[in-house]
Amino acid sequence: MSQTTSYASTSDAARHGDEPLLQVRDLKVTFKRQGEEPFVAVDGIDFDVRPGQTVGLVGESGCGKSVTSLAIMGLLPKRGNRVEGEVLFNGTDLLKLSDSDMRDRRGQELAMIFQDPLSSLNPVVPVGLQVAEVLERHKGMSRKAAMVVAREMLDKVGIPDPDRRLKDYPHQMSGGMRQRALIAIALACEPRLLIADEPTTALDVTIQAQILTLLKDLVRETGTALIMITHDLGVVAGLCDEVNVLYAGRIVERAERHPLFEQPRHPYTNGLLESIPKLEVGRGERLNPIPGSVADNLPWTSACAFAPRCLNALEVCREQTPQLEMDFGRALRCFNPVEVAR
Amino acid sequence: MTSTANADHDVTGSADSAVPADADHRDVLVDVRGVKVHFPIRKGVIFDKTIGYVYAVDGVDLQIRRGETYGLVGESGCGKSTLGRAILNLEPPTEGSVTFDGVDIASLKGEELRRKRQDIQMVFQDPMSSLDPRQSVESLLLEGLKAHGLIENDAAANQRLRELLAAVGLPPAALKKYPHEFSGGQRQRIGIARALSVNPKLIVADEPVSALDVSVQAQVINLLEDLQEEFGLTYLVVAHDLAVVRHISDRVGVMYLGALAEEAPAADLYARPLHPYTRALLSAVPVPDPVIEDQRERILLTGDLPSPANPPTGCRFHTRCPWRQPTRCDTERPVLRTVELPGVPKDHRVACHWAEQIESGELRPHEVEAIAVEQTAGVLAPDSPIIGPTSIGEIG
Ligand SMILES: Nc1ncnc2c1ncn2[C@@H]1O[C@H](COP(=O)(O)OP(=O)(O)OP(=O)(O)O)[C@@H](O)[C@H]1O
Ligand SMILES: Nc1ncnc2c1ncn2[C@@H]1O[C@H](COP(=O)(O)OP(=O)(O)O)[C@@H](O)[C@H]1O
Ligand code: SF4
Ligand code: SF4
Ligand SMILES: [Mg+2]
Ligand SMILES: [Mg+2]
Repeated sequence: MSQTTSYASTSDAARHGDEPLLQVRDLKVTFKRQGEEPFVAVDGIDFDVRPGQTVGLVGESGCGKSVTSLAIMGLLPKRGNRVEGEVLFNGTDLLKLSDSDMRDRRGQELAMIFQDPLSSLNPVVPVGLQVAEVLERHKGMSRKAAMVVAREMLDKVGIPDPDRRLKDYPHQMSGGMRQRALIAIALACEPRLLIADEPTTALDVTIQAQILTLLKDLVRETGTALIMITHDLGVVAGLCDEVNVLYAGRIVERAERHPLFEQPRHPYTNGLLESIPKLEVGRGERLNPIPGSVADNLPWTSACAFAPRCLNALEVCREQTPQLEMDFGRALRCFNPVEVAR
Repeated sequence: MTSTANADHDVTGSADSAVPADADHRDVLVDVRGVKVHFPIRKGVIFDKTIGYVYAVDGVDLQIRRGETYGLVGESGCGKSTLGRAILNLEPPTEGSVTFDGVDIASLKGEELRRKRQDIQMVFQDPMSSLDPRQSVESLLLEGLKAHGLIENDAAANQRLRELLAAVGLPPAALKKYPHEFSGGQRQRIGIARALSVNPKLIVADEPVSALDVSVQAQVINLLEDLQEEFGLTYLVVAHDLAVVRHISDRVGVMYLGALAEEAPAADLYARPLHPYTRALLSAVPVPDPVIEDQRERILLTGDLPSPANPPTGCRFHTRCPWRQPTRCDTERPVLRTVELPGVPKDHRVACHWAEQIESGELRPHEVEAIAVEQTAGVLAPDSPIIGPTSIGEIG
């Protein structure tokens, strides 16, 4: 079955007018272990998500994507970290809610799916029952009614033969089917916000295409807002209305996907795009890597963290902290942005 | 609905018919003929009964020419790594032969085998788990040199170590450090330096960049290309990332469930994929360009990848193929063959009965009913599938 699919879910409602559903304000997460220096994993992040919008968080390993999402969901470990700032969901600061209030909202208003569905599914409970349990807990449904909806959900997420699969345990399913089951659980109560943390990273590319298409269709159909976390700029290009690029715990650039890819302004965004091997380019054409690694970073407190790896770096970049500033509809944290179109 | 292979599993990809007529045999460094690697599935603590087999590699013919890079792509569990290991005889083939530099490697023993091993080195996906954390870089690099008697004296050893580090772009100070003191990209450089240390002819690189961030991945890809030029190396690169493989390879083989579905010069394969699976695979790769993404024609495959313990009969791909035909597809296993199509070179080979008719548009794709595949206990690729960066956050 061949079909034209772009994953982008941009609906007009998502673009215009609506008040933000989620406002993340100056979010900061610091990890502190005994005898160790405090480590700032997320360093003052601001972004909004409007109803029905798909917002991307991209960046390389360790830049703080997962910590951001866990902080929003209230899922960080109880000990050993400090969370500051505000996470306003419909105007309520989630960071101020009690554990039990937060638990009520999780699964009902906000839901999350992870890279490894096996570790987030209960290994000893059949998947159908796991979907049903969410409905019983949050919607007060009877077991019987919940099982009917659970079957519908499995069908909706494209699990073949749902009557039989209801009784399957997670280990009996493939990675792709497990991710579908997890999506069914996450979307069972029709949450207003879904956070997907690298949902396809562990999957093969043909299965990834299935899951991304499914996610796109579901968020469009239900009007659920989606935060898509990934290190894959290809996934972002097809899926997200707006993209936040993270580096070392801070947002360095934010723009709608078309302008971002057409003309990346931050040297890091540009460097990432330059270093990706392209399907249409073959042998003999050298890639343009970003030099060095994150081990070379400078502290944000007195410099641009990216300066040691940056081809555009100026003297000021090693002496002052660049601020996130608005620049023709995009947010940019840079003293010397990329000027020319790629 | 799914027809599966019968118990005796009598399938033959017919070794002889698949030999490319024009391959110059002096140029062939590695010659893989009809290789199969089947792993027994055992059950029971006391009787340890074999209840079936994982047909990890199930009839592969391929030749790697001197100085070229052969790229092997395919989804997890399709047998790429196992084939790579079979070429090193780390996984002795159940059937078939591997000839390296004119010698059948299965026939080698003792000293001879050791010497041949020196000619074939391996680079792994996860540099951390392949480097002993208690050894300094110096001792890691000296290990191979010593084992193969390549050190004459300290001065020569020192000289050699410096050359190796320079070749992979690490400072001499790295010698005294330990693996955990390096970033992922640097560790991969150490892994490459170690492979290079014994002057191999062939390097088998299994997912050499898939654990690395894209910015660093590009550094390692460039490095591999530079070293090939400098030392005249031959590469077998195994990877799941099609863009990476395209970038680094002269020729590419696409694997599906233990066999080659298609093989071609890289440019031909990407410009004109002939096998339905290759088409689907290429169309599924997300491209970092919204304009392309918005207009793409995607061939979405339905259902799961069948289990290699229970592969479909006939064409391995028939359970998911949008072009599957009522005849031949589920009964007759297609052989890798050349096709008579204008503009398609002789060394572009495809294992599909209907490749010509599909290419001409005479046959059209159709809907495929999705099948969920019951997972076989204990059948998981040993190194799979940590693809791309993972992080501590995922555990939360
Ligand atoms: N030692 C073993 N015992 C049993 N089964 C095995 C063994 N090694 C590999 N297999 C099976 O063989 C098949 C092919 O494995 P292999 O690792 O070669 O695949 P691959 O294509 O390289 O996968 P990946 O891309 O995930 O690394 C898999 O189904 C795997 O479970
Ligand atoms: N529980 C924790 N304790 C200490 N450090 C942590 C913890 N969780 C995450 N980190 C660190 O925070 C940084 C950001 O992590 P994460 O958000 O998981 O990155 P990614 O963007 O890859 O998802 C990393 O350097 C990680 O090591
Ligand atoms: S602030 Fe300076 S160092 Fe940082 S990205 Fe911009 S130009 Fe480069
Ligand atoms: S032989 Fe048949 S099932 Fe196999 S790829 Fe060709 S058309 Fe599809
Ligand atoms: Mg993460
Ligand atoms: Mg592998």
